[in-house]
Amino acid sequence: MNAQIIGQMAVSGALMGLVYALIAYGFQLTFATSKSINFGQGELVMISAFFSLTLTNLGFPYWAMVPGGLLFGALMGLVVERAGVRLALEQKSEGWILLSIIIGLFFFSAAENIWGRDDRPFPTPISADPIHILGVDVTRLELSVAVGVFAIMGLIELFKRRTLLGKAFEAVSADRDAAELMGISSTRTVMLSYGLSGSVAALAGILVSPITTVGPTMASALILKAFSVAVVAGLDSGFGVVLVGMFLGALESLASFYLGSGWREAPGLILLILALALRPNGVFGKATIRKV
Amino acid sequence: MLQVEDLHAGYGASEVLTGTTLTVKQGTLVALIGANGAGKTTTMRAISGGIKPSRGKVILDGQEVQGLDASRIASLGLAHSPEGRKVFGPLSVEDNLLLGAYSRLPRFFGYHAQAKPDLDRVYDLFPRLRDRARQSAGTLSGGEQQMLAIGRALMARPKVMLLDEPSMGLAPVIVQEVFRTIRRLKEEGITLLLVEQFAKSALEVADYAYVMERGRIAVEGTPAELGRNERVLAAYLG
Repeated sequence: MNAQIIGQMAVSGALMGLVYALIAYGFQLTFATSKSINFGQGELVMISAFFSLTLTNLGFPYWAMVPGGLLFGALMGLVVERAGVRLALEQKSEGWILLSIIIGLFFFSAAENIWGRDDRPFPTPISADPIHILGVDVTRLELSVAVGVFAIMGLIELFKRRTLLGKAFEAVSADRDAAELMGISSTRTVMLSYGLSGSVAALAGILVSPITTVGPTMASALILKAFSVAVVAGLDSGFGVVLVGMFLGALESLASFYLGSGWREAPGLILLILALALRPNGVFGKATIRKV
Repeated sequence: MLQVEDLHAGYGASEVLTGTTLTVKQGTLVALIGANGAGKTTTMRAISGGIKPSRGKVILDGQEVQGLDASRIASLGLAHSPEGRKVFGPLSVEDNLLLGAYSRLPRFFGYHAQAKPDLDRVYDLFPRLRDRARQSAGTLSGGEQQMLAIGRALMARPKVMLLDEPSMGLAPVIVQEVFRTIRRLKEEGITLLLVEQFAKSALEVADYAYVMERGRIAVEGTPAELGRNERVLAAYLG
């Protein structure tokens, strides 16, 4: 009985943890090409979820709403890159940190004004009835999170390994200057990474919204966990974020069940502090030595 | 094929190049020699767009390219094999080579088939790269990485190839191999601008040479002429 509850909690927690992993993967994409991340990524998740909700309310079916939402996310990612990050990177400054936070705040206010402050349900055709697998109950909704996360990460990894543009993406992340000498525009590659990262954020929003509801503050807790996952796993291992994300999700779910729901946020922060103290490059990260 | 006129460039406020002028004619091998810090690598970087020249012209095949982005200049037909080789360590040897031809290959699919003749040519030139095609470039030895860097530049079918310090940090035997390769490239009719520490070896393969001192060309001439120049003899060939 007890083992079954632990298993149940761990599995549903781990499935939620995949959403953290997906958002953290979005950080990795832009970090790879530009050594910058969008600190307003949570707002990107939120505003894309709102946009997708609007599409749904306008009568778009689920299969048409998802690509619409991803496209919107990509566009917003490009806005962040063009309006903020690029200005700082051109000056070789760290200003992208503040600029991306500011653009995030702008998205937040825009969402409050357009869609209001209330949390709203996100209708979905995927059923929330539990199905029984290997002794635990999982809903189709929770499974859809796993399917969505693995599908988009798999597609992007395939793109990076199989297409020349994807290899160019890897080349820019390995050595930006040398990639330029091959005729690869690093500016365009950075744009591409922000577009992809925006799509990834949008998908995270679409997948999580039917479970949590949509509201302007929906992503503030998510983003904190995603940061923890990115720091713990390191910024260069897609495999790492999935493992750490699932682990953190399971841990949170168990903590809130056994210690009380107030303890839900604790594992993420404890992991974050432990990682910074013991493995600052991430558990799966490579130690980078800067040659002078 | 490549003309550099009165080029001024530097890093921030410090100007390293103070009016460099040189010409590389089609099908020739031109060597650029000089002491450390004379501005050889800076000249290369200013030509290929790694740094923006503050004054002067770079003319590639009749077209002014100074001030353009490095990626644009590369796609116009200039291949720069940089100092320190700069291969893409995490990527496979073959991927490194394919990326060398990036500007003229399709971006998504079918690029491998289209690059096949060029790949075969590079593999014939450097059979060891064929053996290691699937290995990641970071695991190669220094000499193999240099071969890869040259091969990667060849993949672009460049109008002009810049080779910056291809012998740097390599064992003497390997250095000889590098120079044999350079000679073969020359025989194939590739237009080359070569920067070298080993002035003597460079002059043996070059058709023409420039000697740089403090950011400008101090002496120029054929290797035979430079060999008779007492200052050059004392400073670089002694």
